[in-house]
Amino acid sequence: MIRTPGDVKTYRKELREALQNTFLRQTLDNFAAAYRESRAKAFEGMDLESLIAEIASRKDSALPRLDELLAEFKRNAESVGAVIHEAATAQEANEIIARIAREGGVRKVIKSKSMTAEETFLNDHLEREGLQVTETDLGEWIIQLRREGPSHMVMPAIHLSRHQVAELFARVTGEPMDPDDIEKMVKVARRTLRRAYLEADMGVSGANFAIADSGTLGLVTNEGNARLVTTLPRIHVALVGLDKLVPDLETALTILKALPRNATGQAISTYVTWITGAVECAAAPSGRKELHIVFLDNGRRALAKNPVFSQALRCVRCGACANVCPIYRLVGGHNYGHVYIGAIGLILTAFYHGVENARALVLNCLNCQACKAVCPAGIDLPHLIKNATRHVLDREGRRPLKNVLLRTVLKDRKLFHFLLRKAYLAQKPLAGDEPLLRHLPLFFDKAHGFRSLPVVNPRPLRDRWDRVRPDEKAPRMRVALFGGCLVDFVYPEQAESVLPILEKHAVAVDYPMDQTCCGLPALMAAEKETARDVAVQNIRAFEDSGADWILTLCASCGSHLKENYPKLLGDDPAWKERLQAFTGKVIDLSSFLVKVLKIQPEDFRGTGAKTAYHAPCHLCRGLKVVEEPRKLLDIAGFQYVPAPDEDVCCGFGGSYSLEFPEISAELLKRKLDHVEAAGAELLVTDCPGCVLQLRGGMDKRGGRVRVCHIGEAVGEGLKD
Amino acid sequence: MHPTELLRQFEEKARAVQTVVRRVSHWREAVRYAVDLTVERGGRTLAPMNLPPEASQSLEDATPIGTVEILRPPLRNHLQDIHTGLTPADWAIAETGTLVLDSTSEDLRIATMLSEVHVAVVPAGRIRADSLELKGEIASLQKNGPRYVAFISGASRTADIERVLTIGVHGPQELHVLILEEDAS
Ligand code: SF4
Ligand code: SF4
Repeated sequence: MIRTPGDVKTYRKELREALQNTFLRQTLDNFAAAYRESRAKAFEGMDLESLIAEIASRKDSALPRLDELLAEFKRNAESVGAVIHEAATAQEANEIIARIAREGGVRKVIKSKSMTAEETFLNDHLEREGLQVTETDLGEWIIQLRREGPSHMVMPAIHLSRHQVAELFARVTGEPMDPDDIEKMVKVARRTLRRAYLEADMGVSGANFAIADSGTLGLVTNEGNARLVTTLPRIHVALVGLDKLVPDLETALTILKALPRNATGQAISTYVTWITGAVECAAAPSGRKELHIVFLDNGRRALAKNPVFSQALRCVRCGACANVCPIYRLVGGHNYGHVYIGAIGLILTAFYHGVENARALVLNCLNCQACKAVCPAGIDLPHLIKNATRHVLDREGRRPLKNVLLRTVLKDRKLFHFLLRKAYLAQKPLAGDEPLLRHLPLFFDKAHGFRSLPVVNPRPLRDRWDRVRPDEKAPRMRVALFGGCLVDFVYPEQAESVLPILEKHAVAVDYPMDQTCCGLPALMAAEKETARDVAVQNIRAFEDSGADWILTLCASCGSHLKENYPKLLGDDPAWKERLQAFTGKVIDLSSFLVKVLKIQPEDFRGTGAKTAYHAPCHLCRGLKVVEEPRKLLDIAGFQYVPAPDEDVCCGFGGSYSLEFPEISAELLKRKLDHVEAAGAELLVTDCPGCVLQLRGGMDKRGGRVRVCHIGEAVGEGLKD
Repeated sequence: MHPTELLRQFEEKARAVQTVVRRVSHWREAVRYAVDLTVERGGRTLAPMNLPPEASQSLEDATPIGTVEILRPPLRNHLQDIHTGLTPADWAIAETGTLVLDSTSEDLRIATMLSEVHVAVVPAGRIRADSLELKGEIASLQKNGPRYVAFISGASRTADIERVLTIGVHGPQELHVLILEEDAS
């Protein structure tokens, strides 16, 4: 049975251990790079966005009709000899399958890979009933022999080295194995498992699709094991989650266009098998297969009805949300999920395997959006992860102190800003005259010492505004700045440095004083109500500014304002128009300078400094701004030096870096290693949070690369 | 898409997944190919399933006694000794290099699953651009069940040990597709 820690402390200890596993890291790094490339190639020339939208809408229209689809499936499948069973819980499903085995006089069972059977821990159950169960998917067989769970939904044994597999096979077969002869090991599996197929009385499979209008099951595999499992034994049992029901073949074929491409970069998996009813089977006394289909609920009906979480059931189990997750890449699937792995695993664990298994797990997300960007079903995974965090809190009926404080403080702008000013006084003795805190106060443990922290500025932007605001007599357009906490209270110089550019282009700039924190920290802590309150305050604060644009230097604030405000307020018709008027104006600095002001190289001195770029998660995926910052660097005369993984999270993630400092530190280290290796003198990015992380890390390691906001770099290069 | 363009695309996509593709001008040639391949690979048996009558006749002619044994149904009796499975395919899909086989017959399934080498023959006129073009045909087979329809794209493969692509784990180790260009004869 899989064990997942229920508290952050134990979980962090396990994460630290996982970080020591260099083989795993190397493997997952290679995989991440290879995956990115093969996926891009597989979708070449296809309109991926429309395909994702189509899959999402087809799934969304099926989900409210699950019971109807089930009835239709049942009718059709029964008419061609299948027996349909329904299981409300995992336990019930296991019992039904055990009963079928008992009644059929079964002793040996062969299985093809099924995440649903992993979900119910079917093997354990059948073995306790005295049945001999053999997994036939190579990866599943390997982990079955090792008695562990899968570490990836598509490649269950990706965490193991050839040496570990060779040792295992040598033990199982009694023959010596050469770890470098993978082909030979595969042949050994082929031979050994052939025997199991021939001896089995019952085959158990999952299904990728259950097609209602013909009662057909669809199975997608590469090895061909599911074909043998469903053909050779006299009994076939398919365990199918209710979410696999689709109305028709067209829907299944549409999903199939994306599933293998997104899972493994293949245009299609080697075998796609469609089974309708009880087909010929000479091994069965009747000459026809005894086909049982067990539909599993285990929380799916409730999920389907949940307005927030129903989209989780669009999942087609491609595994991609793990492939691209920077945390998965560091610690592997056994530490990044319970049974289901990766972003979707963080969510489903709370519903299928209980809050105790999800409690610590759901917190381990940077909100970097990488999973969302790659999901073929268009699931807003980070959003659901935050909601799952809330679900866990609600279930447990208690709030961590952090949440209580956040709620009280964020709602009250004056109190919040008062406390920020106080923070300066508290930090001052520790920092001396330095702009960075190199030693942390005692209440941080030493895991947090991987970066220096900035000192809260004694004069926040709002206090300086009257002095620094450009005085534009005949403006060609009006901009209202959205500062965000970090720019306002920590890095006011970032905003100041872009003012001359705006002035040069006759842009009037305003800083509405009633603005406050964007509210993302509240949402990250699963305090939706507070986030909503703050959103309302900000929309109000900007309404009177008469601005054409709401400009922000913070990618996180920007994407939160644009993307999450509608989620927070969208169901309220009273806010519809005011909301649209607000979000429609929000723009990031690079896009504003390049696309709106259309700044030109002539305006800049052009230092030619070798400049690396870090793409903030909330800019490149949140706001989908990819080219503009690089164009901006070019226009402003910097020599852009590309570095690997520019769009991988720097590890900041707001309070994430306080909750899981070891992971944050490791992501930061990799980022800075890449930048240094690229030979950059300067590292720029367009988010003050990333600046905090990257600059703090660079300082701590004594690196020589200067880190600043892209606005500072560009502003400094402006010709007088 | 133009038929020759479809054929070209099918060949390209099928070869990308290690399928061997050849054009043949009649069944006689296809049968000859399968027998020769069996001999070349050191195989001793060939299981033909669902061949058209003219192919069955050429099979008799192409197999001199004692070289390759022709296995007859029920193939349950030969689960462990099928070297080559020779079958027609119902359609081919250019986009993915896929064969579509109505595999409802258990013998056909065994010939295509448990053989070491699968040789499939598909008329050029049955190549379609993508799977959605076949949705009507396949759905009507399924609504007329029981039915077992297989999409096959290349030989059985795994990457479960250190992500190293390895061919031939549970199913056939080789897939050969012979495109029957009837007009050419
Ligand atoms: S948002 Fe980022 S960190 Fe969170 S699950 Fe998705 S990929 Fe992983
Ligand atoms: S959530 Fe999306 S990306 Fe993750 S496994 Fe499911 S379909 Fe794939």
